[in-house]
Amino acid sequence: MGHVRPATKPPAGRPAPPVFGHLAAVPVASADRRMPTDDEINAWMRAVAATADRRAFAALFRHFAPRVKGFLARGGADDALAEELAQETMVTLWRRASSFDPSRAQVSTWLYTIARNLRIDHHRRLAGGAGGTPDPWDAEQQPADAHLSPDALLHAAQRERGVQRALAELPPEQAQVLRLSFFDEHPHGRIARDLGIPLGTVKSRIRLAVTQLRRILERYEP
Amino acid sequence: MIHHHPGDELLLPLAAGRLGAGQAVVVSTHIEGCGECRARLHTLQALGGALLEDTDPVALGPGAWERTLQRLDRPAIEPPSPAPARRSHPALPGDVPWPASLRGCASSGWRWIGPGMRYARIGVPHEPTASVYLLRIGAGRSLPRHTHGGVELTQVLCGAFDDGRAVFGPGDFDAADETVHHQPVVQAGTTCVCLAYVGARMRFDGRMASMIGGWIGM
Repeated sequence: MGHVRPATKPPAGRPAPPVFGHLAAVPVASADRRMPTDDEINAWMRAVAATADRRAFAALFRHFAPRVKGFLARGGADDALAEELAQETMVTLWRRASSFDPSRAQVSTWLYTIARNLRIDHHRRLAGGAGGTPDPWDAEQQPADAHLSPDALLHAAQRERGVQRALAELPPEQAQVLRLSFFDEHPHGRIARDLGIPLGTVKSRIRLAVTQLRRILERYEP
Repeated sequence: MIHHHPGDELLLPLAAGRLGAGQAVVVSTHIEGCGECRARLHTLQALGGALLEDTDPVALGPGAWERTLQRLDRPAIEPPSPAPARRSHPALPGDVPWPASLRGCASSGWRWIGPGMRYARIGVPHEPTASVYLLRIGAGRSLPRHTHGGVELTQVLCGAFDDGRAVFGPGDFDAADETVHHQPVVQAGTTCVCLAYVGARMRFDGRMASMIGGWIGM
């Protein structure tokens, strides 16, 4: 089953051609698999949105579902919950693919907000809250930037692509502050412990780390 | 023109899904009306996306793909249509819209707390113990001088107040804590309505104010 991959980049503006392998192949994470490019991922999204293409969905599932599961597991979810929410995230992707706009966000960010909202919703339901949660796919900030000008939008999209690189450039301690903010259930206490700083100074460390991240991002901008 | 914004120490947990529901509704209400903060939040959500891409994949269980395929064929459980009955909420002055971030929240009507001062309790469904209020204070009136046992978040929906530190106008956001001892005074000419999250009891200087504060649970 290692053969399922688009042979060529689909032509712009057209749905991805059916160049995937056998549908029954169970998508699994594989370390030696080449990372798909942004263009490939966006083409798969278009194919899912335009023609409910299950092969494109299989490719997205193969790439993202194990990452969503890994992300949730690292954030404190047990295996069963991480598994359930990862599947639910992919089902939401299938249903809401047409609301995804690649000029506004990367698929990874969009999926992140979906998974995050599903997790919040799950915990709130456990806590006994009533219904009334906004739709998980509503990802309250999507489109977060509805009122930005096209220039600003392009800017935001470019900045987003730089985030991964900027994170790698951050001093290790600041990168750790950001990671813990996402992955720890009680980030403030954990940041204080791990960095050996008083709880009262955690907020300023967070501000500092984010400021530094934004500064690096600005350097990338034209 | 918005002059006061939530800091990254609030936006980051909001982006990470780690901010309590009570604080989240106040910060989200600010973001609704502030393009700058939407863009800042977007960057932090992109950080979530980058961490997702970076995460070591964890293989799904056997049969996960088949189960997901089966779920694709099931009709989505859509919220009951037509849209759930609109909850009633206290009227806001003029053309001030009801914040979309308060969707799903219960709200009391306006209740009197003093001359020219009313409040409405906002019930956040997923954090029922959170103290979230709307405060409506008449022109020239002031809240009693107070400090805080914990964080206090305020989003100005309309009007403006000056608490000696700065003037907070429509769209402005303020985060105060136990280090802030202030007396917000509403500016002349307009009624001020704020959405506020009170993390721990406010500590009023006067006995009367303390009594009323305790009575309404603020």
